[in-house]
Amino acid sequence: MSIVTRAIATADREARYLSHGELNAIGDFFETGEHRLQIALVLSKNESNIIQKASQRFWERCPVTPSNSGNPVFRASCLRDQTWYLRLVAYAVLVDDVEPIEKIGVKGAKEMYDSLGVPLKNVAECMRCIKEVALDLLCFDDKVTATPYFDYLIQGLTP
Amino acid sequence: MQDAITALINSSDVQGRYLDDNGLDRLQSYFRSGELRARTALNISANANTLVTQAVAKSLMYTDITAPGGNMYTCRRYAACIRDLDYFLRYATYAMLAGDVSILDERILNGLRETYNSLGVPISATIRAVQAMKEVTTDLVGADAGKEMGVYFDYICAGLS
Repeated sequence: MSIVTRAIATADREARYLSHGELNAIGDFFETGEHRLQIALVLSKNESNIIQKASQRFWERCPVTPSNSGNPVFRASCLRDQTWYLRLVAYAVLVDDVEPIEKIGVKGAKEMYDSLGVPLKNVAECMRCIKEVALDLLCFDDKVTATPYFDYLIQGLTP
Repeated sequence: MQDAITALINSSDVQGRYLDDNGLDRLQSYFRSGELRARTALNISANANTLVTQAVAKSLMYTDITAPGGNMYTCRRYAACIRDLDYFLRYATYAMLAGDVSILDERILNGLRETYNSLGVPISATIRAVQAMKEVTTDLVGADAGKEMGVYFDYICAGLS
């Protein structure tokens, strides 16, 4: 949920217009909007590149993991999940809120990976690799903006 | 409830995609119009009562509807009418700020026509009042912001008719 929707929901519960302070905060959000849009673009344009490098790094750090066992299905699933998580981070950056990561990617993830027999700590390590590779593509300001969302994701998947 | 950004994210996520060029353009123009939206919302909230009064004066006050036998006759009905117009203005302002009509469907339009019909509230007069509100709002906030507010007022009218 973006700050816009959240402020509207609060005001609506109290049957009032948005306050000056709320509108100022929304104004700041609009102002940084294009900056966040640029970050999301970098992540989306470089998706395959990021995932490729992150996977290599991940398999070096965690050689014993289903996706590195030679099973092509496991490998493909691992790559696919990585693209999903990178996409969720891009959404979160765009909307300036962790909700997309939380709602789509973190809730139930532990149970899901447990039942699939994928060690969750490896998933978290894989996300850390994505974070490192992706942040390398961003300038300092963009790094500062994007880092919390990657951290939220890693934390949410840490057993 | 959603806004221009969350609406795009929700529809992209279902398809498992990043935002496409069309979506990016829409977001960019939403962000660029942000300052205008916030300023307009503030302006409307500071003048909400006046806008409702003016809209009623322009569309309903001097017609048969306020005379004995009309649907705005008795103070209680008059009060109910301006309360509803107040709601319409506030929700249109929310929707303008969000750049998305979903809140109008969720909070105003679902079942409204049926309610009005069962209460005997004339839809055509309601639409006339909302159109008048669109005009007085445009007078207050200027042409650009007025055009954007008009989208949401028109959406309310379309949902009623």
